[in-house]
Amino acid sequence: MAGASEAITRVHAAEEHGHHPPYLQHHFVSAEQQFDAAKLGMWIFLATEILLFSGMFVAYAVYRVWHPEVFQAASKLLDWRLGGLNTLVLLASSYTVALAVHYAQLGNQKRLLQNLWLTIALAGVFMVVKYFEYTEKFHHHIFPGGNYAYEGLQLPYVGQFFSIYFVMTGIHGLHVLVGMGVLTWVALKARRGVFSSEYYTPVEISALYWHLVDIIWIFLFPLLYLIH
Amino acid sequence: MATQTYAATATQPQAEINYLNHARGLKSWLLTLDHKRIGLLYLISIALFFVVGGILALLVRLELFEPGQTIMSAETYNHVFTLHGAIMIFLFLIPAAPAVLGNFALPIMIGARDVAFPRLNLASWYIFWLGAIMMLVGIVASGLDTGWTFYTPYSTMTGSGVTWVVLGVFILGFSSILTGLNFIVTIHKMRAPGMTWSRLPLFVWGLYATSIVQILATPVLGITLLLLALERILKVGIFDPALGGDPVLFQHFFWFYSHPAVYIMILPGFGIISELIGTFSRKGIFGYKFVALSSVAIAFLGFLVWGHHMFVSGQSATASTIFSLLTFLIGVPTGVKVLNWVASLYRGSIWLRSPLLYALMFLFVFPIGGFTGIALGTLGLDVPLHDTYFVVAHFHYVMVGGMFLSFLGGLHYWWPKMFGRLYNEKLAQLAALLIFVGFNVTFFPQFILGTQGMPRRYFDYVPEFTTLHQISTVGSWILSVGLLLVAGYLLHSLFKGQKAPANPWGAGTLEWTHTGRVPSPHNFDRIPVVTRGPYDYHLAEEIFGNGRGDGDSLAVQPSPSGQTQQPQSTT
Amino acid sequence: MAHATHHHIIPKALLLKVFVTLVVLTVITALTGQADLGPFNFLHVPLAVGIAVIKATLVVLFFMGLKYDRPINALSFIIGLLMVGVFLAFTLLDMLYRGDIGNLERQPIRGPQIEQMASPTTAH
Repeated sequence: MAGASEAITRVHAAEEHGHHPPYLQHHFVSAEQQFDAAKLGMWIFLATEILLFSGMFVAYAVYRVWHPEVFQAASKLLDWRLGGLNTLVLLASSYTVALAVHYAQLGNQKRLLQNLWLTIALAGVFMVVKYFEYTEKFHHHIFPGGNYAYEGLQLPYVGQFFSIYFVMTGIHGLHVLVGMGVLTWVALKARRGVFSSEYYTPVEISALYWHLVDIIWIFLFPLLYLIH
Repeated sequence: MATQTYAATATQPQAEINYLNHARGLKSWLLTLDHKRIGLLYLISIALFFVVGGILALLVRLELFEPGQTIMSAETYNHVFTLHGAIMIFLFLIPAAPAVLGNFALPIMIGARDVAFPRLNLASWYIFWLGAIMMLVGIVASGLDTGWTFYTPYSTMTGSGVTWVVLGVFILGFSSILTGLNFIVTIHKMRAPGMTWSRLPLFVWGLYATSIVQILATPVLGITLLLLALERILKVGIFDPALGGDPVLFQHFFWFYSHPAVYIMILPGFGIISELIGTFSRKGIFGYKFVALSSVAIAFLGFLVWGHHMFVSGQSATASTIFSLLTFLIGVPTGVKVLNWVASLYRGSIWLRSPLLYALMFLFVFPIGGFTGIALGTLGLDVPLHDTYFVVAHFHYVMVGGMFLSFLGGLHYWWPKMFGRLYNEKLAQLAALLIFVGFNVTFFPQFILGTQGMPRRYFDYVPEFTTLHQISTVGSWILSVGLLLVAGYLLHSLFKGQKAPANPWGAGTLEWTHTGRVPSPHNFDRIPVVTRGPYDYHLAEEIFGNGRGDGDSLAVQPSPSGQTQQPQSTT
Repeated sequence: MAHATHHHIIPKALLLKVFVTLVVLTVITALTGQADLGPFNFLHVPLAVGIAVIKATLVVLFFMGLKYDRPINALSFIIGLLMVGVFLAFTLLDMLYRGDIGNLERQPIRGPQIEQMASPTTAH
């Protein structure tokens, strides 16, 4: 008189014992479930990153609405050509990492690895440009908030603009560095031949993370560098 | 130690291998990937912090026994109530229900072998400890006297350990985010075949809603505290008016998280109450769909009301009005839940065991907290009541009376499944009574104190308030006795308690019907196929063990031929 | 079951097209950002943000593959964006209407450092 509440099915018994890929973790029923779970996990994580940055965007909006002329004047101290260059660099890195995923899906190990290294290199270029921007600011005593001491522009609340500039680009830069680290780790795995057209999940989800880093900058560039 | 493999048979061997005994040694616990063990690791951790926070509470009440200095200076008092709040909220209330009960029960309830990301789960626990230790370092080194809300400009000026503590809380936030992320992916992707959304136990719906809040709100706390730390270290000047910042902006940032945070605390509690009432009234929950969806509705509405903490801060009247209206709105789904629970009890076959006692206590205490919240959400009322003991009483009624009582109820409910032991029911009922009396004696006078004008966070008060304060302090002692009793008989049951059967409460959810006395490490030998709802008590045969009704053996036996059986309708 | 079935491969040509579009949009943003639009100067912010939104959408849909992906992933992302909108809108509801009660200043308290900057007679 066994009830219908559990018809015991031998879930994927054949797969479990004969066909068990090494990358399939045991609590998952199938590789498909594992891949889907990883992707959803990363998209949720990206939502949390957006909310992390949102605080700074809100602070930006508040101070810009309250002190528009200060923001306008202070933005002129930023070099929009360097900002624009960095935007193009990050867009290119998004392109190369998307290509990396593309080649992973096709099982092309060589091009997968090449594009991963290209992405990391472009990210490095971004950080170098950032380094020059920051050091130039520090040279002129342009520091966040209360430490701002640039004689060339003295206005009330100008320190706030640079606080927002440094914190937003600083946290973004930190994310670029983390991204570089993660992509390097993925590239080293790719070099060992871990990935295939059936399994490339780390490539996919680290690429998703990288695209978000690009998207944040897409907004930072006009908001910080192009205020008129 | 028996060496038979557990996967082979469905009958109970004499010394069955379960998740508690299958691997021994400290390393097997500290490096475990088993969600059940991680739940227990969290249980020990939050219990520890609860004791610390509780002792601080007793010290606060002791100081307030008499006007003026009783046992500590004013400066010390600031530290003590701050730490009580910060520890209770960040190290107990936020993690307790999701990380302990959620971790333990969620995967089993949906028919999964584990959460989606077990390694991330373990990492969450370590991140929790990293954040906690950073907080403690700051507290021990330089104390914390800002109140748990860290309002600027005091928090940017004070010499106490604010920087360390907020960075510690920042790290704790990641633990919360990762747990929420894990649960959402688990619920979406790892439900057993046949476990549709409308067959999910309501505790799972509660955890789902909680997780949504965790992942959307906590990052904003992260950036807020990071900015506060940067304000102190680098003088960024976003919140400090001396540098051109706006202190009310800090409050916006802080409450954008901290209001939804209270829903992180209570939504799992609501889920637990649904389980308790459903099981112990043998009737299921009236209006299942509404109760399920109202959890999600509360999760989202909770993001729209944070300004009700800021009515007297200088916030614009426009914003205040809108926040007040939305605060009224959020009372609606909550109120309907309470009505649905009462309707669930009506004409049910009530079995009065200690878990249900906690649910009944909740039904009395939580609405008081909820209604007083609506009162505080009324602009006119909030002006005199803001920052008085009325607020203190309100949030203790919802947090302690709501969240903590439901946590205790859940702990008692799942205790036999977690440890395979029954606790002493008589002592449990006595303790519940002591807790109920102690809690109300402690906090009800505080409503009166608040309306009479006693400010919160004050170390001294006018002599007219003495009697009520003393009643409140005595209440805290009664409450403590009750809680000590709970700790006593629960711990005792681990060693000397009667062995529990697989389904002592006769519940209908998978963790009761489809596991042994204590779950095996991977929960299920075979993933179950679900063909009924979680509270379908009319399908009694399936719940009570294939008609045997003894509840001692596994409820499930594969039929000899391996074929599925046709359902025998017993309506 | 090891063979994945739901993995849409975005063609290289499409990726290149999207990239080129993104570059073009960036150039437009930079040039219009510098230009003086005369009576239309108030459009600077909406234009810049609008183009940024288009760029971000292209990245999300094609580089991140959300166009071809399961709806739940898109839902997660969109809900995150909505919450940012709520945060921004409700905070601005306060900030923009500060002082509407009448007995409050619009500006926050100005501390000594700000006062110093506002009156440049005191040397820093």
